[in-house]
Amino acid sequence: MNAAEQFQAAATEKAGDLRHRAVIQKAIGTYDAAVAKGKTRFSDWQNARSHAAQIKWETINHLDRYLEQFERKVIENGGQVCWAETAEDARRYILALAQRRGVKRVVKSKSMTTEEIHLNEAFEHAGIEPIETDLGEYICQLRREPPYHIVTPVMHLTKADIAQTFAMPATTSAEEMTMFARAKLRQAFLTADMGVTGANFAVADTGMIAITENEGNARLSFSLPKIHVAIVGIEKLIPRLGDLALLWPLLSTSGTGQPLTAYNSLIGGPRQSGEPDGTTEFHVILLDNGRTKLLADAEQRDALHCIRCGACLNACPVYKNIGGHTYATTYQGPIGSVITPHLRDAKEWSHLPFASSLCGACTDVCPVRIDLHHHLLHNRRNAVQRGFDHPLQRLAFRLWLWAMKSPTLYRLGGKLLRFTPMTPWTKTRDFPEPPAQSFKDWWEENERRP
Amino acid sequence: MNAAREQILARVRAALRVPAPRPAAPTTAPVFPPVTDLEKRFREEFTALRGEIVETLDGYPDVTGCDCLVAQTGSIIVSTRSAGGRVASVLPEVHAVRARRDQIVADLPAALALLRRRYDGHWPSALSVITGPSRTADIEKILVMGAHGPKRLLLQFVA
Amino acid sequence: MRAALFIPCFVDQLYPQVGIAMVKVLRRLNVDVHYPAAQTCCGQPAFNTGCWDEARQLATRFREIFAGAEAIVCPSGSCTAMVRQFYPELIGQSAPVYEFGEFLVKKLGVTDVGARFPAKVTYHDSCHALRELRLKNEPRQLLAKVRDLELIEMDQAETCCGFGGTFAVKFPMISYAMDEVKCTSIRQTGADYVVSADSSCLMQIAGYLGRTGQPVKTISLAEVLAST
Repeated sequence: MNAAEQFQAAATEKAGDLRHRAVIQKAIGTYDAAVAKGKTRFSDWQNARSHAAQIKWETINHLDRYLEQFERKVIENGGQVCWAETAEDARRYILALAQRRGVKRVVKSKSMTTEEIHLNEAFEHAGIEPIETDLGEYICQLRREPPYHIVTPVMHLTKADIAQTFAMPATTSAEEMTMFARAKLRQAFLTADMGVTGANFAVADTGMIAITENEGNARLSFSLPKIHVAIVGIEKLIPRLGDLALLWPLLSTSGTGQPLTAYNSLIGGPRQSGEPDGTTEFHVILLDNGRTKLLADAEQRDALHCIRCGACLNACPVYKNIGGHTYATTYQGPIGSVITPHLRDAKEWSHLPFASSLCGACTDVCPVRIDLHHHLLHNRRNAVQRGFDHPLQRLAFRLWLWAMKSPTLYRLGGKLLRFTPMTPWTKTRDFPEPPAQSFKDWWEENERRP
Repeated sequence: MNAAREQILARVRAALRVPAPRPAAPTTAPVFPPVTDLEKRFREEFTALRGEIVETLDGYPDVTGCDCLVAQTGSIIVSTRSAGGRVASVLPEVHAVRARRDQIVADLPAALALLRRRYDGHWPSALSVITGPSRTADIEKILVMGAHGPKRLLLQFVA
Repeated sequence: MRAALFIPCFVDQLYPQVGIAMVKVLRRLNVDVHYPAAQTCCGQPAFNTGCWDEARQLATRFREIFAGAEAIVCPSGSCTAMVRQFYPELIGQSAPVYEFGEFLVKKLGVTDVGARFPAKVTYHDSCHALRELRLKNEPRQLLAKVRDLELIEMDQAETCCGFGGTFAVKFPMISYAMDEVKCTSIRQTGADYVVSADSSCLMQIAGYLGRTGQPVKTISLAEVLAST
């Protein structure tokens, strides 16, 4: 099966899974209530979105300048910068570093970019033990499952499911499980040789990366091991430190509804002289991996504004019914269906933009105003222009066009429609009984004036 | 990796030759309502996040300082300098902080501006905006305190 | 006022009573309506499926047929959005099309059209009317003035019904699941009718309600406003 067939099969199965639907509805219901409350802390949420869109537009449209400034500052602060064109380049750099330093164990804090480059598999292959330390990601790792959601990795699991993963009784409380993971992972932090994180933002004017989290695992990951490696997509840049005064609350509010997550950290380099602890090495990997292809598409360039808050997933009625794993992509939901055909193979992933009713709920919630559902339309157009659609579909639209250009053929077509079986739609739903007379016929009979 | 650097920057520059339209400008209205009574607001926010304001920190041997407190969000900002390194404010079960009332600033813009004034040109290697004790809601969105960082966050105001 | 009628192919073929109801209300308000008989489809099915070349030809054709019309009224938020929001991207120009309820409230300044509809109803916001045309209050203002009508809002009023044109055919099970979520919310209101500005949504909703044997009926905003 190709990716499109796999998607169709998985989507069909999940859409009918009522248990899955109930779990997701409950989780997103809790999220929706928190976000509605969180937005009231802003004077004007819509205006906040506009500010954020400006900040990201400014960055992305002068990205070369901000990347160079960021790099210069990181190096001034004693850090090292690696530019990685591909996932493989990024993996190769980290593995070589780990092998040079004799790294045996790596603690990781939640990072979609490391998912994107399949870093855990690469570590395992090289005999290095990667340990996910975000609770949700840790559960995913134990289950050998990819994250279900870019912010809430185990949204699809119930407490009982997770207890089973931990080999604990089904009645175990969330607190007991969290404390179990805390104790287990504390040992990992204390014995790891390298901490790997992503970054939510990369601040150009101070050369710092910013990491948003709630648990403290990212802070431990860049505090205890001797080496800190941060993998940063080049679109994560922001111009100024002061921009975080908006972007931090905006990300928290859209991500979880919190006014601010528990920890928002800035890391500017390794331990300095006079500091009692910290890392001896700080490496930032600036990852392209297809991002410059998306950048070159001016029409959809704003998709690089994304701050990975997950709001568009939570708002998406398709996501809510088919779940994150069905997409089989690193980035799921509307943003994933926009960017995946650009970042990866456009033909292989061309089905994703079509798997949307184009309802636009995603665009309305996006805190940086990405025109998501219109970009799904643009991706559909691109797919057809490149000939990725089914030849029969193309033929059908040609015939349809031919009929629609002629009122006579159109009327004839309308009459034929009455005998056309509308499967697969009618497999599950009733199709209306076509009326005896069309509006056109009615008008002609009753209203036409000489 | 210099070749990769040049490749990426060249691709970025080539891509940006075609401009993308600038989004509609925001209004000049403030993004957040102004914060008035700083201490009152800080106390409200901090305790709502399950931070605890205490009269004494006797019995807590490891107490850190901080850079400032943020009224708008009930946050405590620490750095490797103000808190004595990276682990002191994240590794213990209880993070105890001593601060002065005059360290409270109104909001995040004021806090970030203060940090810049204090550190520009010689930044500490790490800083954290701490907003309540460590927490997670990864399991069924149920809030659990003390995921990896401190389970409790104590603050004592001193003169 | 003079207005051209834009009756989308969908309404023309499957729901002519919606167009007829619209004509009735407009006449009641002394609008001089005319119907350019050569009209067929605005091109949206092709446009949404990525076939912009095909859609472009129909957009151009639409512009020619409706050339010179100062106002065009359409009993569909979706097809109105196609012409007003998407034609500029497709052919560089638009046409002055208004969704029927929008035309009444914004163009004519009327909210009370003298209708009576003794029933409990709930309103389904079609995605195109809500998010492309930003029509949230207009239909509710109109329904508020209908005598003996009780509007009960559903939880998921703004949630997509799952139709989405060719989406419903390409991904029937996702579309069906969305329909089910929508109809569950409709049923919870206890309403007799679900009302909408888009007959395509109503077809999707009725398709589920009918198959599952539920008593809730569907009706277009135009038909509610036409009833006395």
